[in-house]
Amino acid sequence: MKLTHTWLAGGLAASALAGAPVIAAADRADDTLRVAFAEEILNLDYNYTTKREYILLADLIDEGLFGYDPETNEYVPSVATGFEYVDDLTVDVNLRDGVAFHDGQALTPSDVAYTYNWIIDEESESQAKGTIERWLDSADVLDEDTVRFNLKTEYPLVIRDMARRVQIRPEGSYHDENGEPVQDAMATEHNGLGPYRVASFSPGEEVVLERYEGYHEESPKNPIEIGNVVIRNIPDMGTQQAELMSGGIDWMFKVSRDVAESMGAAPNVNHVTSTDLRIGFLVLDAFGHTDPDGPLTDKTVRQAMNHAVNRPEIAQFLMGGGSQAVHTACHPAQFGCTQQVPVYNYDPERAKELLAEAGYPDGFDLELWSYRDKPIAEAVSADFEAVGIDVSLRHVKLASLNEARANRDIQAYFGTWGSGGTPDTAAIARVHFNDTSDRNMSNNPEVVENVLAAEVTGDQEARLRLYAEALTTIAEEAYWVPLVSYAQNFLVSSEVDFPTYQDGLPRIYRAGWK
Amino acid sequence: MTRYILQRLGIALAVAVALSFVTFMLLNFATDPAYAIAGEDAEQEVIEQIRETYGLDRPVMVRYADWASGMLTGDFGESYYWNKPVAALVADRAPVTLLLSVMGLAVTILIALPLGILAALNPNTWIDRMALGVAVSAQAVPNFWLGLIMIILFAVTFPIFPVSGDDSLAHFVLPAFVLGASSVPAVMRLTRTGMIEVMESDFIRTARAKGFRGGDLVRRHALRNAMLPVISVLAVQLGHKFSGSVITETIFAINGLGRLALESILGSDIPTVQILIFVFAMVFVLMNLLADILNAALDPRLRLG
Repeated sequence: MKLTHTWLAGGLAASALAGAPVIAAADRADDTLRVAFAEEILNLDYNYTTKREYILLADLIDEGLFGYDPETNEYVPSVATGFEYVDDLTVDVNLRDGVAFHDGQALTPSDVAYTYNWIIDEESESQAKGTIERWLDSADVLDEDTVRFNLKTEYPLVIRDMARRVQIRPEGSYHDENGEPVQDAMATEHNGLGPYRVASFSPGEEVVLERYEGYHEESPKNPIEIGNVVIRNIPDMGTQQAELMSGGIDWMFKVSRDVAESMGAAPNVNHVTSTDLRIGFLVLDAFGHTDPDGPLTDKTVRQAMNHAVNRPEIAQFLMGGGSQAVHTACHPAQFGCTQQVPVYNYDPERAKELLAEAGYPDGFDLELWSYRDKPIAEAVSADFEAVGIDVSLRHVKLASLNEARANRDIQAYFGTWGSGGTPDTAAIARVHFNDTSDRNMSNNPEVVENVLAAEVTGDQEARLRLYAEALTTIAEEAYWVPLVSYAQNFLVSSEVDFPTYQDGLPRIYRAGWK
Repeated sequence: MTRYILQRLGIALAVAVALSFVTFMLLNFATDPAYAIAGEDAEQEVIEQIRETYGLDRPVMVRYADWASGMLTGDFGESYYWNKPVAALVADRAPVTLLLSVMGLAVTILIALPLGILAALNPNTWIDRMALGVAVSAQAVPNFWLGLIMIILFAVTFPIFPVSGDDSLAHFVLPAFVLGASSVPAVMRLTRTGMIEVMESDFIRTARAKGFRGGDLVRRHALRNAMLPVISVLAVQLGHKFSGSVITETIFAINGLGRLALESILGSDIPTVQILIFVFAMVFVLMNLLADILNAALDPRLRLG
């Protein structure tokens, strides 16, 4: 279908440039920004969802305890005015006065304690539970402005999780009048603290939002300029393009580079790019799960593979925008992601030498798995072929790759990770290098120990040191072939001002009219 | 006749049950709903949480038995993806698809019948060839391509109809055209053949001798007889459209059963896919049955029992 969309984009842009009537979006007149998501919005409660579209929605209608400043990459006061570590396992969070839910009731510490205790409750079934129960033992009301969080263990991302993962609900929201749990209580009838309130919701079709006049003034999300936001679910990207051209929508994302460039040529559409915390990489079976004596168990072979890949060209020609070559098992913008690691520059001759040195002068057979961005997987395969590695590319659905990886049947795979927009190495390191993850295909106990240790201390200097050790080992041993950071393409009505940020998370609430 | 109808319904039910079993197994072995629900970057804890919540950690046969016993008691299950009862989901979406199917069928009739009649009245002339060319082109063009062309032409370049959605009847015009176009050749050719046969029959010669000419002859004598096979084909085509609108509904963002089917398959929403296959199979079989009954009713030679 991608070819069709590219072709359609060219057709639509040509149609506009040839003087076909271009409808000015009526949206500015009624102060309504219309955005399109291909992914259906089926549940308004981010405490029960995970995908990126839901993060964008939660940014509009919900509030965590803290905000995030995408310009400084720091967590900042929002609903909470601040926090204080009483000791390593106790955090007191002070709430702001004058914050109210969309139904008008004032926020109290009981609401916050209730929400957190519910998230980790056995019956909650919340999709935030796995993350929060990792560190939270309980939340108590300390006084009329303060909530005390009792931690199970030291955990450096407490504030991150408070800012991003848990959305505050009024006390009792998830229980009926008999005290019985109601997990989907907020799925369609939402009540939050965000800058917009839900005016209407048709699951899978449309969410209509209007600016919440009672939104607290001190929020880092302010100023909120646009009065109304309509999120339309349009599954086909080609249809989204046509809607954009005809004024039916003002904003679309997840656009491929070629489509964005074609459509951006139209006079009423702007092509906006941004960087992203997502990185692409190859994970190699260095441990030897698939073959204890296989070539990938040899460090020299893995280093050769790192030298074989032309990262700058992939970044420039396949990703575009702000994409850049990456040499670490994390995004360079993330806290702890030291760049003082061995770098394997593109050097096919050196790669061949290393292969010969390792006893593979004629290369070897490699089964490379991938599930997305096939052109990148193909470019990497071609680079490997050029140094003599005979690649069999298996491009499959994510579920198939996950299953094969869980069964330890994968020799190497092309993966990507977005870190949920979290500018901290913890958001990528733990998932890929803890000892229970099947994504960990190197199983180096020293790396595991460092990565896990960095998650149970609040000492930032110690964390930097632990990550530096882990990342240096990963690079020296060439457990991965880090590739490139991602870029994002948006198509936006020319009437809309849409700023972008380094973490790649689109902030619709920051949009305004030109 | 009653026995025949019951027999056909029984076979339809057996086919639907067999299909449901095969689909359930295929979906379970080919996909993992937990990953589909959680999304690409979900951490393992979240995936395990989802698996536990939806009971996906139980053996597949236990889950199928659960689902099947629920079906027998009228409980069609809960959608993983939409988080609501599947029956309600299908009931919400079915009227939209029914409207689109009927409008699509109307488009087929409006194009195919006049073309077929025109071709039959002018056999082996340029009119006949042109009519055939139009019909074959309509069949050859893929739905998704025709849909996008229609959108560019009639929603963007000449903004007559809305691009997508299903808020008003105007939203259904372009998708109905796209859906209806694919059935034009079959109906057109059947109409043409039927009309040519009828026009050469004795009773038409008699009618001509009586002084009937032109439109009167076609409308009052020829068309009625030529329509017998066409009507039964139209009934089958309605079934096709009801269960075959996946691409059209997706392109035009119409919230019908076709789009629901696609979303459910992509989301590994097994309970919803199960019911949709059941519904589609039953509709298709019922439409075939209706066609048989119509044929039998219209032509006494075909009556059964």
